[in-house]
Amino acid sequence: MTPVVEFDGVSKWYGNVIGLNKLTLRIPAGVTGLLGPNGAGKSTLLQLATGQLRPSQGTVRVLGQSVWSNPGLNRHVGLCPEQDAFYEWMTGWDFVQTCARLSGMSRGEATAATEKALHLVGMIENMHRAIRGYSKGMRQRTKLAQALVHEPQVLFLDEPFTGTDPVARRDLMDVIRNLGDAGRSALVSSHVLHELQALTPNIVLLHRGRLVAEGRVQQIRELIDTHPHRIVIVCDNYRVLAATLVAHADVEAIHFLTRDSAILVETRQPDAFYARLPRLALENGTAIREVYSEDDNLEAVFKYLVSE
Amino acid sequence: MNQAIHTQPVRPSELRLAPGRCFAALGELFWLTLRQHTHGRRLLVLVLLFALACGLAILLRSLSRPAPAEILEFTLVFGLIPHALAPLTALLYAAGMIQDEVEGQTLTYLLLRPLPKWTVYLTKWLATILICGCLIGLFTLALYLAIYWDTRELWREIMPGRALKTGAALALAQLGYCSLFGSLGLLIRHSLIAGVAYIVLLEGVIANIEFVGRALTVVYYFRVLILRWLDLPDLLQRQWLRAWQLDPAKMPDALTCVETVAIASLALTIFSALWFSRSEFAVKTPESSS
Repeated sequence: MTPVVEFDGVSKWYGNVIGLNKLTLRIPAGVTGLLGPNGAGKSTLLQLATGQLRPSQGTVRVLGQSVWSNPGLNRHVGLCPEQDAFYEWMTGWDFVQTCARLSGMSRGEATAATEKALHLVGMIENMHRAIRGYSKGMRQRTKLAQALVHEPQVLFLDEPFTGTDPVARRDLMDVIRNLGDAGRSALVSSHVLHELQALTPNIVLLHRGRLVAEGRVQQIRELIDTHPHRIVIVCDNYRVLAATLVAHADVEAIHFLTRDSAILVETRQPDAFYARLPRLALENGTAIREVYSEDDNLEAVFKYLVSE
Repeated sequence: MNQAIHTQPVRPSELRLAPGRCFAALGELFWLTLRQHTHGRRLLVLVLLFALACGLAILLRSLSRPAPAEILEFTLVFGLIPHALAPLTALLYAAGMIQDEVEGQTLTYLLLRPLPKWTVYLTKWLATILICGCLIGLFTLALYLAIYWDTRELWREIMPGRALKTGAALALAQLGYCSLFGSLGLLIRHSLIAGVAYIVLLEGVIANIEFVGRALTVVYYFRVLILRWLDLPDLLQRQWLRAWQLDPAKMPDALTCVETVAIASLALTIFSALWFSRSEFAVKTPESSS
């Protein structure tokens, strides 16, 4: 099967700053998540895949075609960019219809396509208002509509959920899932794992311009699980609690965070640990004020994966 | 579900946009650019500047001892407009036609369309020339009206003859200025500063000095065209020749002026369009990476 997006030894440098570093990647059809912390190279990858940037080294192909200097490919590709930029004086309808007309549609086709795209993203009610008055969620929906209006085979969505409220987020996720079900391919970037997990099991992980891992979420989670999870517990008599915890085999290490009246526990079985913790606290009479996992921070996950 | 998804590579024939659709898309881009140009504060500023010039002309002609129309014409129509207002109009519009899209981060929406990049540049350039040409043409006619409104020659000689010819020469000057400042906006980040410096130094100072370098200025060709095209009385022609330090024997003919400005403008624009088509426009660069 021909991959939808192919990166073959691609590097991109901005002066002496590396955006992508010798990236070789084949993204199959369907919805794929592109995960990475800020500065990982996600936007660079998407800009290369949409022909906005020229690779410093290597080749980028989408739908089997070289991307750079190939505007015809844009008939089959749509991009929802990260930047919150519009022609603010336009209405949502006007903006999306202009994008449709710029894609080569006749006036009649553009009108029908605009209505369809705005309906799909749930913007019909507000489509005749000026964009400058839109909420963040409406702006994201409108950006998605312009990416969809010419019915591309492949969609590139750069942080489409950034700044959206939960309702808009859920709606946008539904739209993307439905597009996947309808046979479109989409590459969705985010720095939030659970957002992508809710969309697709296929994930590509980038960190500092390098491919860290790719595959199904479960495989990546297993990879992460080979490293101990770090859990911080804030409580008054933390030394007593530590003495109790250390007796359990799944606890690999305990560090005292004296200044914060807390302990940092390393365990390979977080589920069992969390299940046991309330009972142990009750038995010891320990009042736990806060429990959080350092692993919620994606940066920590990447540090695990790149062995930092 | 993914197994059912179409993954066939796109055939080259599926990449081409039919010529009719391509022209329709470029027409939309042309229309979009016109709308952009009429939506900013720039238009308001320029209207205000031209209104001030017209107001000044009306005021000076309304005094108990009105200023002579020829002196006002020379100062405002052949001084203020070609030296300041025309290049400023072109600078504000042409330097911003791509730079504004880059700074506003809206260029992405144009580059993600199935249109060759060079056609995007050319279309925006054409729309910019149309706007600048129309603005300058209208304001020139308005200024002539303001200067000659109380004379009998207004509708017999001035408007159908001198004003139209001056408008045509200024339109040609706008072609030169738009091409120049369009390139400047593409190549230089602080194009407004560079543009103002160019207007002052080259079009303002060097164009008035009699040496070969003045042939590189737009104002030089504009002045020669005015002297060649307008049927000025001998006395007036001699005064203007002296003021502009021009020698009729060394001046090129009108056709050469038109050809020179048109060819130089087209060459510059073709270069800029090719430069634009080879350029990358990164929306953001990584803040830190190793």
